[in-house]
Amino acid sequence: MMKRKKNFAVNGLTAVALILSLGLAGCSTTAGVETTGKMTWDEQGARTLEKNVVFNNSGLKGDIQIVEVKSAMAGDIMRAQATLRSKDRDTLPFQYRFDWYDAGGFEINSGAGSWKPLILYGRETKTIQAVAPDPRAKEFKLKIREPD
Amino acid sequence: MKNGMKVLLAVVSVGVLSLSGCASTIQYGDAGSAKPVAKEFGSSDLQQIAESMVDSMITFPPLVELTSSRRPVVSVDKVKNKTMQHIDTESITDSIRAKLIRSGKFRFIDRTTDAQTIEELKTQQDSGLVDKKTAVKFGQQIGAEFLLTANFSEIRQKAGSTTDVYYKFSMSLKNLKTGILEWSDEKEIRKVFVRGTFGG
Repeated sequence: MMKRKKNFAVNGLTAVALILSLGLAGCSTTAGVETTGKMTWDEQGARTLEKNVVFNNSGLKGDIQIVEVKSAMAGDIMRAQATLRSKDRDTLPFQYRFDWYDAGGFEINSGAGSWKPLILYGRETKTIQAVAPDPRAKEFKLKIREPD
Repeated sequence: MKNGMKVLLAVVSVGVLSLSGCASTIQYGDAGSAKPVAKEFGSSDLQQIAESMVDSMITFPPLVELTSSRRPVVSVDKVKNKTMQHIDTESITDSIRAKLIRSGKFRFIDRTTDAQTIEELKTQQDSGLVDKKTAVKFGQQIGAEFLLTANFSEIRQKAGSTTDVYYKFSMSLKNLKTGILEWSDEKEIRKVFVRGTFGG
């Protein structure tokens, strides 16, 4: 009788631990991938883009690869494009956003951007694009994360 | 027996503690969050539509050429809401207009504040309070060169526990003099809702 109760208690403890761990997993925040592209001009006046990719999340590093980052001008407004490749066989959901900075490194419309959903099918290559909010933008930062 | 009870009590108290984490809370959320909450039209949908329309418009080559030397004046028409939902479509066009103004490429006239404008001009002209030299005269506003029009539609399909909602927002820039659509684009959004077995 006593042994049975103890077993029940232990089982209960396991269940609670399981529920707790599940609950915690649901609350975890995800850091992501950050890619920056800064537009500069050399002495000849040719436009170049300095690129930098930072992975803050090792899980995401295994899922996604940034194949290419480029920029172009539409009139006096900067455009950015990134090519992503899924390393996974399954369909994976992501979110991304572009933040824009002026020549002095100040963010334009600070905090006003929104996350956009992105679906990558297994081993798929996809491009994402964005357009700067105004002609001041000379630098962008692309952030990719798992859905919140 | 006593030991067993103690363990059980500990388990229950841990359980209660973990449950207390599920009590009602309030906190600030990210205004730019892309987390879908419902199959209905939401904030992220609005942001996606506005950004997509503005990005398309300010990078369309004929418009880039047009806006390189001057800032054309545009008027915004009401969105034809053909969805089955009550949506504040003015909020969508307001976002689009704000982004276009901030891009520095277009200027806008606002017909929604005409009544207040007339009221103010009447006061300036007739009340005798305002210096005639500085009073704004009637008939000096600039006429819009373009009209921004939009359609918003929805296709809803339901099969078993799955509801698939497809939204389409189409927008055009009409040249008021010639009647020609100088630019047009559309944004599609698909939302799939699967009702859980125990879900409400």
